[in-house]
Amino acid sequence: MTGFAELCAASNFSFLRGASHPEELAMTAGALGLSGLAVCDRNSMAGVVRAHMAAKEVGLRFVPGCRLAFLDGTPDLIVWPQDRSAYGRLTRLLTTGNRRAPKGECHLVADDLAVLEEGFPMALVLPAGLPEADGVARVLTRLKGEFGKSVRLACSLPRGPSDRRRLQLAADLAEACGVPLLATNDVLYHAPGRRPLQDVVTCIRLHERLETAGRKLQVNAERHLKDAEDMSRLFDAAPRALRESLKILDEVSFSLDDLAYEYPEEPAGESATPQAELERLAEEGMRRRYPAGAPEKVKKAVAHELALVEQLQYAPYFLTVYDIVRFARSQGILCQGRGSAANSAVCFCIGITEVDPERADLLFERFISPERREPPDIDVDFEHERREEVIQYIYRKYGRERAGLAATVITYRSRSALREVGKVFGLSEDAIGALSGTVWGRSSAGTEDTQVREAGMDPADPLLTQMLACAKTLIGFPRHLSQHVGGFVITRGRLDEVVPIQNAAMEDRTVIEWDKDDLDSLGILKIDILALGMLSAIRKVLEMLRAEYDVDYSIASIPAEEPEVYDMLCRADSIGVFQVESRAQMTMLPRLCPKSFYDLVIEVAIVRPGPIQGDMVHPYLRRRQGLEQVSYPSKALEAVLGKTMGVPLFQEQAMKIAIVAAGFTPGEADKLRRAMATFRRVGTIGTFQTKMIEGMVQNGYERDFAERCFRQIEGFGEYGFPESHAASFALLVYASAWIKAHYPDVFCAALLNSQPMGFYAPAQLVRDAREHGVEVREADVNLSGWDAMLEPGMEAAKHLHRRHGEMKDVVRSTKAVRLGLRMVKGLREEDVKTIIALRGQGYDSIRDLWLRTGPVPAGDHASGGGGCLPLARARSAHGAVGSAGTGKGCLARSPAAVRHGPALPISGGNRMRTCRRCCPGAHVMADYRALSLSLKAHPVSFVRGALSEMRVLPCRDLDRIRSGRQVTVAGLVLVRQRPGSAKGVIFLTLEDEGGVANIIVWPKAFEKYRPLIMGARFLKVTGRLQSESGVIHVVADHVEDATPLLARLSDMSLENAGLARADEVRRPVIELSEKIKPASRLAQLVREVPELRQDLEPQVPKQTLKALPGGRNFH
Amino acid sequence: MVAKIRNAQRIICLTASARALGLRSGEALADARARVPSLLAEEATPREDALLLGFVADWCDRYTPLVAIDGDDGLFLDITGCAHLFGGEEALLADALDRLERQGFAVRGAIADTPGAAWAVARYGDGGSIAPGQQEEALASLPLAALRLDREAVEGLERVGLSRIGDIATRPRAPLANRFGPDPVRRLDQAFGREGEPISPRFAAPLIMAERRFFEPIGRMEDVSAVVLSLAGQLSDALERRVQGGRAFELALFRVDGAVQKLAVGTSRPLRVPKRILALFAEKLKADESVLDAGYGYDLVRLAVLEAQDEDPAQLDLGGQGVAEAEADLAGLIDRLGARLGLDRVTRLLPVDRHLPESQTALVPAAVVREDALAWTGFSSVVLGCDDLGLGASGEAGLLQTRQSSEVPLERPLRLLNPAEPVEAVAMVPEGPPLRFRWRRTLYRVVRSEGPERIAPPWWVGAPDAPPSTREGVTRDYFRIEDDAGRRFWLYREGLYARETATPRWYLHGVFA
Repeated sequence: MTGFAELCAASNFSFLRGASHPEELAMTAGALGLSGLAVCDRNSMAGVVRAHMAAKEVGLRFVPGCRLAFLDGTPDLIVWPQDRSAYGRLTRLLTTGNRRAPKGECHLVADDLAVLEEGFPMALVLPAGLPEADGVARVLTRLKGEFGKSVRLACSLPRGPSDRRRLQLAADLAEACGVPLLATNDVLYHAPGRRPLQDVVTCIRLHERLETAGRKLQVNAERHLKDAEDMSRLFDAAPRALRESLKILDEVSFSLDDLAYEYPEEPAGESATPQAELERLAEEGMRRRYPAGAPEKVKKAVAHELALVEQLQYAPYFLTVYDIVRFARSQGILCQGRGSAANSAVCFCIGITEVDPERADLLFERFISPERREPPDIDVDFEHERREEVIQYIYRKYGRERAGLAATVITYRSRSALREVGKVFGLSEDAIGALSGTVWGRSSAGTEDTQVREAGMDPADPLLTQMLACAKTLIGFPRHLSQHVGGFVITRGRLDEVVPIQNAAMEDRTVIEWDKDDLDSLGILKIDILALGMLSAIRKVLEMLRAEYDVDYSIASIPAEEPEVYDMLCRADSIGVFQVESRAQMTMLPRLCPKSFYDLVIEVAIVRPGPIQGDMVHPYLRRRQGLEQVSYPSKALEAVLGKTMGVPLFQEQAMKIAIVAAGFTPGEADKLRRAMATFRRVGTIGTFQTKMIEGMVQNGYERDFAERCFRQIEGFGEYGFPESHAASFALLVYASAWIKAHYPDVFCAALLNSQPMGFYAPAQLVRDAREHGVEVREADVNLSGWDAMLEPGMEAAKHLHRRHGEMKDVVRSTKAVRLGLRMVKGLREEDVKTIIALRGQGYDSIRDLWLRTGPVPAGDHASGGGGCLPLARARSAHGAVGSAGTGKGCLARSPAAVRHGPALPISGGNRMRTCRRCCPGAHVMADYRALSLSLKAHPVSFVRGALSEMRVLPCRDLDRIRSGRQVTVAGLVLVRQRPGSAKGVIFLTLEDEGGVANIIVWPKAFEKYRPLIMGARFLKVTGRLQSESGVIHVVADHVEDATPLLARLSDMSLENAGLARADEVRRPVIELSEKIKPASRLAQLVREVPELRQDLEPQVPKQTLKALPGGRNFH
Repeated sequence: MVAKIRNAQRIICLTASARALGLRSGEALADARARVPSLLAEEATPREDALLLGFVADWCDRYTPLVAIDGDDGLFLDITGCAHLFGGEEALLADALDRLERQGFAVRGAIADTPGAAWAVARYGDGGSIAPGQQEEALASLPLAALRLDREAVEGLERVGLSRIGDIATRPRAPLANRFGPDPVRRLDQAFGREGEPISPRFAAPLIMAERRFFEPIGRMEDVSAVVLSLAGQLSDALERRVQGGRAFELALFRVDGAVQKLAVGTSRPLRVPKRILALFAEKLKADESVLDAGYGYDLVRLAVLEAQDEDPAQLDLGGQGVAEAEADLAGLIDRLGARLGLDRVTRLLPVDRHLPESQTALVPAAVVREDALAWTGFSSVVLGCDDLGLGASGEAGLLQTRQSSEVPLERPLRLLNPAEPVEAVAMVPEGPPLRFRWRRTLYRVVRSEGPERIAPPWWVGAPDAPPSTREGVTRDYFRIEDDAGRRFWLYREGLYARETATPRWYLHGVFA
């Protein structure tokens, strides 16, 4: 029997055509014993890397290929690059097609083929059925003329009505044109069982329902991978067509491994080689970092690293990153390396990272391992407002043909899959909506029976079963490619000869077709240029400190280890502080009580899925609070776990346990970690498990302990936090906390000017600043700029809120914050510039304002009338307009007026002085609408009288109440969170004029008051007070909607004014349960420590999303 | 009630109890569900709603022929000159509201000089009749929304403290128009009658109309016919006076419960003979007997001429030509047959876009078939756009072409056996053609065969031609067979060997002529 290689298989990267993952195709081809496989997606190379890696695992010969589809009616053409240069020509061809088409499309015409040059192996796909021979012959003749012997005619026999005639026609055509015939099955899926899904995706693509799609669907399930025997039966009349596939395999010598990466050349400066230059820079940096001479430990580390870098020839890569960082610094852009790069002493010396190797315990192998042979991964955070400058610098330096952004593969998640499949099955929008869960519904992979029942449907219904099964399989399928947040690829040669480039949705951006995992797999260099809002804020703080207080600090020179700063954090006074401002962190802070920098590192890392899954949070807390004896299984491990009281919390520790206790080499330990991260894909976990446990037992540890250790590392693999990363973040935590402690005015202004960022809305930031004694002044057309500014004010320390009383010696603020006009909703920066430019001695009335600024703000009337400046003025008549107002609101010129006659002179008589006198309450409401905050008063203060009559306590009095007492509080809803499962607890934060109250709603109460809790803006809650280590909660028994009280103030509704960004009703988060697969352990821990749940919510999603290999789950 | 607005399912209408839960219209259904999981939501049916409103409008024909539909839920009746027939405006309004309420509608109404004022008072005021010239007083205290302004305009005005119609009624007009565009001023003028606002009636008022009201409803068809005949007589007189004949007539039957049944007929020539007019309707009345449900009877019968034409005497004398034409017209034939046999029984074959051969046609009532549905669309054969490649056909390829086209066989028999008949066959496994088979106790020896053509039935449950779930092995392999006597058959094997079943069964699905 002859062999056969399937050379035309579409994966699901032929979006909504193929119905199998590339990995599935490769695995199945291997299992069927095919001689080779080529994954040829439609005008795309997006799936080949995945197939390549999977084929490698099963030992299958893999050929990357592409199916070219043309706009001009030419039948599809399959091409397989035979060598590296041919591959480059192909990717350039695809790039050309991509760049001239809108995002996600590729426009090719037959004339474009000229780039491919003679000898490029290719096959024309014989159109379905019995096509008109003439046309095919003409195309074939032309191709033959252009590309010579390498042209084939590919024929598939899909069991149609006249397959034998089709084969005869193909053979005749091939003979007549003098090209060989190639047998293929034109594969759409790896196994016949995927026919339903293929039908479904076809329907999705064509916007049809199954009922209406008719013969647009495949007639049978034949387009799966077939083994040589099946194929030779199909092609028994033309056995040569099968052998032709083997000939092509011989012809193609190219493998994706040939894309061996060459780093971009960096000028070696004064030195002879990049390595020498790196050594010089490291030496120089070491002197700068340690003016008193570097400690021995650091010297040794640097020497060790440099040797390794030389061995692996990574020096140019370090220089590339160094250059980018150097550029950012030269422009005054704050930046800081994060992630595993912070494990490198060299990175510290040359200024990429800020974690002092002397202070931290670095594990260089976590960063670079000789055995991994993967380029190191350096992530650098830049100020979010100025990251674009860095990106443009990279484009400038390397050119668009050498630099590009990595793609992110957007895959179907359970909701989108359910929605699309439901539509195809003809379910009503309503039914689909009910199934895919409400805002807070569960949406784990695969809808559960209970959920189906809740939606009022019968889970046993066969059609529904089919639908859910299809949706489940569709989860993880790629939908489209999107732009990665900051992953940059830089190549030495042309980038478009390495991978096709596409247009991105953003103008002026281009994206390659591979995502980060693909790049990793092939060992291609990438640098993450990330954006971090806190860096922007800190830069603004430092500038303001220089300008207003004449103190000059950098992040590094901020006085370290001040106990006052830690005291502040221990009181959970952390609104606005980087990373630890969320409510969960705020409940953790008083328990953990950080006293030193290292405690902050732990604080950052501990409320994460990794430690939680590994069941480490509780033991650590118990030991820290002295409730449990700190013990170590051995002396050797004491060195590893000493800093964290015997509980492993970081990835590095997990690796070190393997090294110290089980005798792994550092390289092996890193492999172990990565194997854990991908254990669903790779079957190597068993070996590691045996190796580690046996190793530990041999070294005298108890088997039980060894197994527990392994389980802990397992929990880490995917979601653990490297210590180096936590340390990088902790630096920013300390820096921002220090600023908040000493200069709350500067801190507040800088945060306001860096919005949107962080967890809280401006209203809370302003409130917090005021509680710290800072005077905050109204935005004012005559005084404010675009940004918030500092003005001479009073000493903040004398006006501290009782709660912050102990900070009176710490706070050094003497300025007041003048809010910026950027706070006014809908006002654009250019308009503000005009207003400021024309301000002169100030506007004396609103009329003056619009007479002088003219039609400037008119451009914005598209935003529904709320946007233009005069209108905003008029609306918040007594708010934003400040000094310009005459004390009573006047109607200014409207967009409509501008539209109807901008040059119209308006006489006094024509002016409308109609605004009725508003009561203060209405003022505040108007402020909330225009500015999302009000400095005059809190809306709740106007109804305090009524509330007192109802025996409602002000929130600020809660800390005087004994735990366990019944209390009633009322306030605006700031935060609504429901972490964990649908049966979970709801966390509400209510705000009144004096403070906030944290409410816990148990499921039973929630079900009772569901409409209120999820809908109302102003709530009255009665319940028991719980106080534990300074954290106060009210457990809700009774909930009441108090909105009608507020409604009396003004006709206007509050809408979402002032609501923090943590409202999950408005901004649903992706369910944790959807992303963390072994959810049971997590769920268990979360049951024990309910308050931990919420912390999983705000930060985790991005983190875990990154850690999850997209679309690689097999079923 | 929910509908899809701005890409989300939103609530558009609520019951009182839902409103009590704090739900509002305009809210996204998902949000509402999140708050009230037990919420019962119905997809809005705007088409049906519009239909119903149309019915109500038709019914209102009893008061005036000038009825206009206003938005999704309102009607304008121009009752100029009609009120006295019902005992005055107040009486007319009371009568209409009363009757509609008894039909189960929640209804509000008002009468005023202008549509705008009536609209405002009906929706935002207390209803009733506004005395002539009293609009300004009546409207002053109503909210601005009563002026039929869009939301932005209302909010804009409210933001500056103007919330009642009275607030802006006396205000200088120029700044108002400058500030908020021409709408508020125009609406104000319309409501106060300073600017005319015509309503656009649903139907043009008929040319000539005759009607009869009954105190005691009539129900029997004979009675209806008699009434129609007498009304036709009245029309005939009127037509004769105009030297015209009717080209289109409409019969409206007002049922006591509010339903209005309308029958319209067209004629191929102007007509005014009462009996012939009745005859036109008689066929309809008879044919529609099942449809025309007299219920509790009709209390108003109206016959109207919708279209008339100057009568051409030459056409009165009919030759056979017109009849022949009508017969040539297929639709005419279907109508005639349908009128006799029942329209359901006159059927045609319609192609259906499915893979299974037996489901590719459907018998449907001929009357509902549109000509364009008789062809499969979207399945033109592959067209190669190679001409623009600028390559001439080579001689060889041309040769291929001729050889190929002569050989394409008939893929399917013209008629299928329904259901396919089981046969016993001997065939090679796994997918070889039958070597011989026995059908209706005769053994056939296969000499030539072509296939298999593999057709898999739809896999999803609930497809009209999906296999019953009890059947295993349902993929079919069709073979075109020729036996030693030259007879050709279409056979299929049901079930893929090994993959689906161990013992595939064979069926004969058709015979090629």
